[in-house]
Amino acid sequence: MRRALPDLLWTLLLAVVVALAPGALKGLFHQASVSYLSLASNAMSLAVLALSWDLLARTGQLSLAHAAFYGAGGYAAAVLAKLSGVPLFLALPLGGAVAALLALGLGSVTLRLRGIYFAIATLAFAEVLKALVQELPTGIAGGAAGLNVPPLFRPHFVPGAMQRWEIAYLRNADYFYVYGGLLLLAILVSVVVQRTRLRAAFTAVRTNEAVAAVMGVRPARAKLLAFVLSSALVGMLGALEAERLGSVIPDGTFAISTTVFALVTPIFGGLYTTLGPILGAGVLSAIEETLKRTFAEGYLIGYGLVLVASVLFMPRGLVGLANRLRRRRGPPPAGGAGTEAGLAGDGEGR
Amino acid sequence: MLRVDGLEKRFGGLAAVQDLSFEVEEEEIFAIIGPNGAGKTTTLNMISGLLAPTHGRIELAGRDITALSSAERCHAGLGRAFQVVQPFPEMTVEENVMVGALYGTPGTGQAEARRLTAGALERSGLLPLREVPAEELTLLQEKRLEIARALATGPRVLLLDEVMAGLRPAEARLAVRLVKEVRERGVTVVFIEHVMPVVRDLADRVLVMDYGRPIASGSYREVTADPRVVSAYLGAEDGDDDDGGGAGTGAEA
Repeated sequence: MRRALPDLLWTLLLAVVVALAPGALKGLFHQASVSYLSLASNAMSLAVLALSWDLLARTGQLSLAHAAFYGAGGYAAAVLAKLSGVPLFLALPLGGAVAALLALGLGSVTLRLRGIYFAIATLAFAEVLKALVQELPTGIAGGAAGLNVPPLFRPHFVPGAMQRWEIAYLRNADYFYVYGGLLLLAILVSVVVQRTRLRAAFTAVRTNEAVAAVMGVRPARAKLLAFVLSSALVGMLGALEAERLGSVIPDGTFAISTTVFALVTPIFGGLYTTLGPILGAGVLSAIEETLKRTFAEGYLIGYGLVLVASVLFMPRGLVGLANRLRRRRGPPPAGGAGTEAGLAGDGEGR
Repeated sequence: MLRVDGLEKRFGGLAAVQDLSFEVEEEEIFAIIGPNGAGKTTTLNMISGLLAPTHGRIELAGRDITALSSAERCHAGLGRAFQVVQPFPEMTVEENVMVGALYGTPGTGQAEARRLTAGALERSGLLPLREVPAEELTLLQEKRLEIARALATGPRVLLLDEVMAGLRPAEARLAVRLVKEVRERGVTVVFIEHVMPVVRDLADRVLVMDYGRPIASGSYREVTADPRVVSAYLGAEDGDDDDGGGAGTGAEA
């Protein structure tokens, strides 16, 4: 855990930034801070999605089921809200728990599947779950029309003393804090996986499952743990988003686009790292917003071009690009020094 | 220490291994030799739990391990180095070995694992290379890494699958010394090998396989004098050009 210290300090710094951001934005931009907070929440939501997908990918499980766990969390929140008297914030842990249980079930079945077969099985699971929720009696899940979800925060309105945008500001700031908290939780999970013995197990299982097993790693355990952690985070995110959007509906809450963003973002940012998915979420959100403001129609074409270019020119994502630039500028690469040491080592051996 | 009883593996109608029984004593160095396709690697795969035998029983230190998973066998004291070296390429040398140290014996803490890793790196001569990414190693270094990783799991029995293949004679001599040192630390060694001088220098006992069956066993001198072994090797040599070096040395011996 000692190696985790720098990561934890960065996380603490991020926590301070999150805590101060709404006030600072309001002071600087006044009314515009309302939409900035909303954009920031979107970006943090994308970061949680990306981090959780990356967590699973670290064990070599390239899942297309993220929409299912996101949707399960959202629906858990919606159904919970129908029971009167239950505090709404409980939706987050509940959404996480429901998604984690589903992941445990799906993960146990898909343990032996690799690559494309695993991907197809998870995609099928997502479609089946969506169809199932849609076909449930409308009294339970609302059928194709979905359900309304009450907002997590009621505006604390002070009559006369506040302008309309200030009410929106308060609401958005409250959500911003919850998204920030969820992002910090996702970062902590990622850092713990990266800086403890779990990293060795996850990487070994991803690179070569048979060799990992012969070296004492239990692949099934590592893969299931990753699946459950990843899905719990997405389930919480789904519940939170349902409360912010105010409704769940099969076609939207289980939309395949959630899965697409979940995998595109960490690939763009840099797989198997904590920084990559966060960076990817920030940069992609900024690009999307800029394009949207420049070409209101068809901005997705530009967005797609950016992604294609990134796969062609940054095979290891933003983090890989940064490492490459740093190596080019800095002292001779570690590999060179290693080779010299290698020769020295051989000499000693003889 | 390691007992194999009536082991058989069928792939469809083909018997890759059958009627295989042998016992390896504690701290013995035991060689399994035979022409390509004799079933040697299949045997090691069954012992380390990567393949389920069709029939038979495997015991490690008196305990039946036939039904255990690969990871459980590793925890029980079985280490394995692969024929085709398979390092985790994204990890450094040290991280590769650390996997075995952390997970080879349940309950190993970080500090203990780091100590085991340092020991395994030291013994295999990889200490100066510990920070190097495994994908940048030479073949000899990769082979050492295979052994270091297996050693870090704390094995009582170490299975080595053709660790000398592709090494130059001087390198092979180093590897032979490494295996002897491993045994001196109380580890039983079972190895597959094509390079006959290595078998001669290392093995206490040799088991010869052909077409999935054991055809001879005994000391190196005994088995190489056995007419069945000679004919198995000479017979295999015609069509066998992917492994010329090993088979050639075999014929000389």
